[in-house]
Amino acid sequence: MALLWLLSAVASLAEQRFPPPDFEGGHQLPVTTTPPARALTLDYLDVGVLGLSLGLAIWLVYRRRSRKGLIVLSIFSLLYFGFWRHGCVCAIGSLQNVALALGDRSYALPLAVLAFFVLPLAVAIFAGRIFCAGVCPHGALQDLVLLKPLKVPPGLEAALSVLPFLYLGAGVLFAATGSAFIICEYDPFVPVFRLSGRALMVLSGAALLGLSIFVGRPYCRFLCPYGALLKLAAAVAKWRVRVTPDNCTQCRLCEASCPFGAMREPQARPGTQTHARDRRRLGWLLLLLPLLLAGGGWLGYRFSAPASRLHPTVSLADLLIRAQGSPPKIGALTPDDLALERARQAPQEILAAAAAIQRRFAIGGWIFGAWVGLVFGVKLISVSVHRPRTDYEPDSGDCFACARCFEYCPNELVRRGVIPATTLTAAAPEISGPPGLDRS
Amino acid sequence: MNPGISKPSSVTRRQFLRDGARAAGLAGLGGLLGLVAERSTAKGTVWQIDPQKCVRCGNCALYCVLEQSAVKCVHAYALCGYCQLCTGYFEPDPNDLNTGAENCLCPTSAIKRTYIEDPYYEYTIDEQLCIGCAKCVEGCHRFGNGSLFLQVRHDRCLNCNECAIAKVCAGDAFRRVPADQPYLLKTDTF
Amino acid sequence: MNPAESILTRRRFLVGTARAAGLLAAGGSTVSWLRAASPGRDANPFALDVERLQHTDPKLIHYEQVARFQGCAPDPRRIAVGPDDRVYIAAANAVTILDCNGRLISEIACAAPVRCVAVAAEGTVYVGVKDHVETFDRTGQRLATWPSSGRRTWLTGLAAGEKDVFAADSGNRCVLRYDKAGKLLGRIAERNKDRHLPGLVVPSPYLDVKLAPDGLLRVNNTGRHRVEAYTVDGDLEFFWGRPSAGIEGFCGCCNPVGLALLPDGRHVTCEKGLPRVKVYSPKGVFESVVAGTETFYENAKTGALKTRSDGLVGGLDAAVDSQQRIYILDLVANDVRIMQRKA
Repeated sequence: MALLWLLSAVASLAEQRFPPPDFEGGHQLPVTTTPPARALTLDYLDVGVLGLSLGLAIWLVYRRRSRKGLIVLSIFSLLYFGFWRHGCVCAIGSLQNVALALGDRSYALPLAVLAFFVLPLAVAIFAGRIFCAGVCPHGALQDLVLLKPLKVPPGLEAALSVLPFLYLGAGVLFAATGSAFIICEYDPFVPVFRLSGRALMVLSGAALLGLSIFVGRPYCRFLCPYGALLKLAAAVAKWRVRVTPDNCTQCRLCEASCPFGAMREPQARPGTQTHARDRRRLGWLLLLLPLLLAGGGWLGYRFSAPASRLHPTVSLADLLIRAQGSPPKIGALTPDDLALERARQAPQEILAAAAAIQRRFAIGGWIFGAWVGLVFGVKLISVSVHRPRTDYEPDSGDCFACARCFEYCPNELVRRGVIPATTLTAAAPEISGPPGLDRS
Repeated sequence: MNPGISKPSSVTRRQFLRDGARAAGLAGLGGLLGLVAERSTAKGTVWQIDPQKCVRCGNCALYCVLEQSAVKCVHAYALCGYCQLCTGYFEPDPNDLNTGAENCLCPTSAIKRTYIEDPYYEYTIDEQLCIGCAKCVEGCHRFGNGSLFLQVRHDRCLNCNECAIAKVCAGDAFRRVPADQPYLLKTDTF
Repeated sequence: MNPAESILTRRRFLVGTARAAGLLAAGGSTVSWLRAASPGRDANPFALDVERLQHTDPKLIHYEQVARFQGCAPDPRRIAVGPDDRVYIAAANAVTILDCNGRLISEIACAAPVRCVAVAAEGTVYVGVKDHVETFDRTGQRLATWPSSGRRTWLTGLAAGEKDVFAADSGNRCVLRYDKAGKLLGRIAERNKDRHLPGLVVPSPYLDVKLAPDGLLRVNNTGRHRVEAYTVDGDLEFFWGRPSAGIEGFCGCCNPVGLALLPDGRHVTCEKGLPRVKVYSPKGVFESVVAGTETFYENAKTGALKTRSDGLVGGLDAAVDSQQRIYILDLVANDVRIMQRKA
C-alpha cells in the first residue's frame, strides 16, 4: 500500500507526456516487452566453472599426468567458454577491462570479469600456464586441430614470441585511454565461436586455424597478450611441468616431443673463455637498455597522435576541424554527417575532450614505446644469458602444460605400468623416490 | 663436465630468487586487485541505447557482430498517436494508405498495422524481421511523436566486451547500464 | 634436427626478428588491402530520404522576409499579434511581449509552462497554461484565473472573439467555448454521430483554433490533415485539405500544426516535419508559399523535433499583423521571421 502511494507520488511529480486517445472500444495499450539481460547468477556460474576447470587441470597435469584427461577438459572448455558462451567473457579480453578500470575512474568493472582476469594469473604464479592447458577456449581450439606439428626456426620463434608483449602493451594503451578494445576487435577465434562476424575477421580466424594444423598454437605463442602475462607469472611458478615423473635418464626420447618449442635441452656451463666474452656482451647490452627505453619512448610519443585517432572523440574532433567553414548539409545525412552535426552542437566541448585524450595518448605513447624498448632489451639479454641445465625440461614460461611430453618418457611409461621397470634398470640405476611435484 | 651434477648453491640461489619473484608477483597482483576492486561492481553491465541521443544513422543494422542485429525497434505505445497515416509505417508520400509494399517504409516489412477503431491503428514490431535500421524511427521522429525507438534486445545481445556498434555510433548513444535495469525506455512521463 | 640448430643465439634472434618484421609487414599490408577492398559504409543505406521534398518551386513563393529576430525565452510554442502590432510569444513559463522589431517590451510570468496565447481586440491577453486559461490586462496585470475544465485538458491553441474565447483542447480532442468571464459554454468539434461530427484526430498536442472574419471557427484536424470550419455552436460547416508531402497538401502524420487567418479570410497554415508555411484561399485552394522547407534549416534537419517534458516539440506557428504581414515563429530555432508579400 505504501509502495503504491509512493509510486503514485512519483508519477504525479513527473510531468505526463501527451497521452494517446481514449479508445471507445476500451482498447488496452500493449506493454513494451523487456527481455531480461543474462542473469547475474549465470555470470558467477561462469566464474565457478572457470575455477573448477582450473582446479581440474592442475590435478590432471600434476597428479594424473593425463593427456587424455586434458583433451576431454579442452573439449569441454571449447564447448562451454567457446561455443556456448561465444568466447565472451574471456580472460584474454578481461585485461583490457582492468586497464580501462585503471584509466577511467567512472568505469565500473564487473567482479566476474575481474575474477576472469585474476584467477588464471594467480594459478599461473603457483602452477604455470594451467589456464592454457585446457581451460582457455582459444588454446583448446588450436590444440585440438594440431595434427602435423612443424618446428619453427628458433630465431623466428624467439622473435615472434616478443609479439605478445607488444600486443599486450598496445591493448592496455588503447583500453586505458578508452579508445578501443583492440584485443577483442581483432580476436581471430571469437567469430569462429559465434559462427558469424566481419568478413575480415572470419577470414583471418580461418587462416589462423588452418595454420594451427601445422604450427602449434600460433595465437597462444605469437600473439596472445594474456599469454604474455601468464608467461611472466609462470616463469616464477612453484610447481613446474617435468617431463619425467622421476629422475631423468638423459634418454633424449622427449627431445622432439614438444610441438610448441618449449622444450629446453641440457646445457653445459660455458667454458671460461666464452663465459668472459658473454659477460662483456651482457655488459654492453645492459648499457644499451636505457637507450632502448628512451628511444622507444620517443618513437611511441611521435606515433601517439595518429594512434589517438582510434578514439572516437578524437576522430570526431578531427572531422570537425576538417569540416570547418563547409556549409551544413540538408537532406539524407551519412553517419559521419550526423556525428558532425552532434559535434557542432558543442564544438568546444568536443575539441577540449579530444585534446585531453591526446594528452593522455602522448603520455601513453611514451610508456608504450619504453615498454617496447624494454621488451626487446630484455629479450636480447635473456638470449645472451646461458643457464646451465642438466635435464630435458620444458621452459616454464613457454610450456602450455599440455602433457604431451609425458608419454615420451620411459619413466612415465613405467609409472603407468605400460612397460616393466626392469627395462630401465640398465640405463638408470638409481630409480627411487615417489614422483615429486616440487622439483626445480 | 658432468651434466648430472649441478652446484647446490646455484640451485638454492635461483630458488630464492624465484620465491622472491613469486612473492613480488603475488603482491603486485594483490595490489592491482585492491586498486581495481574499489571501482568494481558486483552487478554486471550490458549495452543499451539512450533513445534521447540516438540520431538514427543506420549503423545498428550494419555493425552488430550478429548476423541480424540485436538492436530492434521497440514501441512506446503510451506515446503513440495511433495515426491512420503513420510516418514510421508509410513512405513520406504513399500512393495509398494500405499495406502494399510500395507504400511501406520498413525494408523487411517488420511493422504490423492493426485496425483498432475509427480512425486509430496500432503498430507493432515483429522482432524476428526487424533489423534495427531505424528508418521507421526516423519517420516517427521527424513527423510524429517519436514513439518508435531503438533498443538493444537482451534476449539476442551477446554483450560483447566492446560493442561493435557503440564504436561507430554517430550519436554516441550507446552506454553500459546495470544488467538488472537493462533498458532505457521512453515512457509516458518525463 | 641437429641440436646445434635448435640453440638460440643472439644472431639467430636478430635474423629471426628481421624475418618476423617482414612477415608482419606482409600480413599487415594484406589486411589493410582487404580492408580497403571491402565496400565502404559511408552512406546510410536505410536513410529516410526526404531531400526531394525539401525543395520548393521558387515560382510558388509569393513572400519575402523583411525582418528576423530571436525569441527571448526558451521553448516557444505559440505566437499571437495583438493591437499595435505587438508580438506575444508563449514560451517556457511566460508570455513575452515584443515590438515588431523584436525588442522586449514586457513579460507576463505564470506558475506553469505556457502553451498558447491570444489577444482580444481591446487588449486583454488570454494565456493557456496547460489545463486552464489565465487572463491579463494590457499592462500585464492579472485579471482572472479560470478553472480547469477537466482531467485530460491540454490547451494548445486560443482564439478571442468579441464575446467568446475559444480554447483548443488537444487532450479532449475538442474546442472549449468560454464567455469572457470564463464560464464554459460548450464543447465544439467533439465526435458526435447524431450531429454527424467525425471528431478531431489529435496524435500530438498541436490543436489550434482561430476565429475567421466570416464568423466561423477554423480548427486544424491534424490527424485527418484537414482544416475544419465550425459555427460557434458546434456545427461543422465545411472542411478542406488532404495528406500529401507535395506542396499542395499537408505532410506527415499530423499537420497542419498552426493556423492564422488573413483579413480577407485566406488561411495561413504551418507544418512540422517538412516545416513550411503556405497560404490557402478561403475555400481551401492552395495559393502560394510563404516560406518553404529550405528556409528553416534548423527545423528541417533530421531530429529537429526536441524532446520536451510534454512530448516531441517542433514545427512552426504563425500570426498576422495589421499590415497583413505574416509572423512565423520557429519552435526549433526559437526565432521569428516577418514575411511580406512580394510587390
